Amino acid sequence: MPPRISLAHYLRHLWRNPCPFQPTQPPDLANRCRSFTTTVPNAFGNRPKRISSSGSPELLEGSKAAALERKRLATRPGVLAIKKGMTAIYRPNGRRISCTVLQLERVQVTAVKTRQKHGYWAVQVGSGWRNSQNVTRPMLGHFEAGGVAPKEHLREFRVKDENGLMEPGTTFSADFFIEGQYVDVRANCKGHGFAGGMKRHGFAGQPASHGNSLSHRIMGSAGQSQGGGSRVLPGKRMPGRMGGHRVTRPHVQVMKIDKELGTILLFGPVPGPKGCTVAIQDTILGPPPAIPEATAAPGESAVAAA
Amino acid sequence: MASKPSLWPLTTLLHRRTVSTLSTATTYTPPPRIHFATRPNPTLPRRRIKVYPPPPGPLTTDPISALTTAQIKALDPSGSRAELFSRQNPQAIRPGDIVYVRRKNGEPFSGVLLNIRRRGIDTSILLRDHLTKLGVEMWLKVYSPIIDSINLVQRKEKMARRAKLYYMRKPAHDFGPVRGIVSDWVRKSYAAKKGSADKASQS
Repeated sequence: MPPRISLAHYLRHLWRNPCPFQPTQPPDLANRCRSFTTTVPNAFGNRPKRISSSGSPELLEGSKAAALERKRLATRPGVLAIKKGMTAIYRPNGRRISCTVLQLERVQVTAVKTRQKHGYWAVQVGSGWRNSQNVTRPMLGHFEAGGVAPKEHLREFRVKDENGLMEPGTTFSADFFIEGQYVDVRANCKGHGFAGGMKRHGFAGQPASHGNSLSHRIMGSAGQSQGGGSRVLPGKRMPGRMGGHRVTRPHVQVMKIDKELGTILLFGPVPGPKGCTVAIQDTILGPPPAIPEATAAPGESAVAAA
Repeated sequence: MASKPSLWPLTTLLHRRTVSTLSTATTYTPPPRIHFATRPNPTLPRRRIKVYPPPPGPLTTDPISALTTAQIKALDPSGSRAELFSRQNPQAIRPGDIVYVRRKNGEPFSGVLLNIRRRGIDTSILLRDHLTKLGVEMWLKVYSPIIDSINLVQRKEKMARRAKLYYMRKPAHDFGPVRGIVSDWVRKSYAAKKGSADKASQS
């Protein structure tokens, strides 16, 4: 007789727990944090770690924890702003400096990421406002947990440690940054659609006259013949979609701040068209700015909440 | 011709018989349906999610106009520079007039005004002159702190029928050097200043 396999117990378990895909977790929650920590026992399962610093009194350079220490991250979160256009500033000596005007619109902290729960420290910032009728129920619950109105844009800003965390609901104002400090600016650059070789890669094109037939802006040759591999080499620059991707402008100086208007004037141009959302954060290519004590954000309450 | 009697009714009897021969102890029961996302009590109403009101928005969605106004006020507090090129002012400088610009450092520049480019704080004027028989054009920012004064030397007799006088680059319409007119004006203005200073010192 084949062994009788009883499914009744399993079915009863399923009936009680509606989601069968919930795996049975060990009570130790620290194991769910799978990255960056060599302080947690059994962090890498039962596989042997390449560099084991558990036995050494000091942090070894090759360990993941040491790499995290070295990683260049900002100490404070960033801000989402809208690119409004460009203007200029005149210095008394007559020098004219082109600036981009960025405006903050209802920017608040919506959530916080912690190393214990998520494996890294970050602050989720939201900007704008969205009608609650047009926001999905899961997202409405997420905003309710943060104590904020539904936001149009959301972005995480990774920070170095728990001192950079901020309480959900905190409103950002333009004086979060200081005049003269340096920031990193990130935005999606202008999209140029399907662009030809001359626009996309600066190809020279062919002559306009002298017998040229229908080939003024084409690519021309795509490479060698048999001697060049009998193929078009991978990575050959060709026409294609141009723009619409994220661009970072590092180490941009803050020229002027207007708290009432909520504007930040940054030196030079900023990627993206007018009206686009831009992420601004303290630069990682330099020391963090010297913030006056009064505007320093508390980190302990945020950690306790998360 | 009678049709062949069909065996179909009999076969249904066969089916029924096969069903009835099964014992009731092993009747087929479908497995319980598994609900993947179910609420503890579907009959109760859903939890009402609280939607917080948004914080106040920015004062204006056009900060550039506000910034420009503030910048112009700072660079031109009396408003005289703005009035020189205002469209509403009948005594304003117009394209076609001869203009003499003094700067804080460098040589003054004069010429025929070809273009007034109005862009808020970046408002600029294009002056055309002939220096040693060579046509020279220069753009000057009206609100720049490096500009000491903008003076009207000579008005065009008739109003130019265009806003941008690029036709004056052609030899047929080129005004030529303005040196003579400007030096006369400078001499007269110095004399007038000296005269008024003398009068002030006398009285």
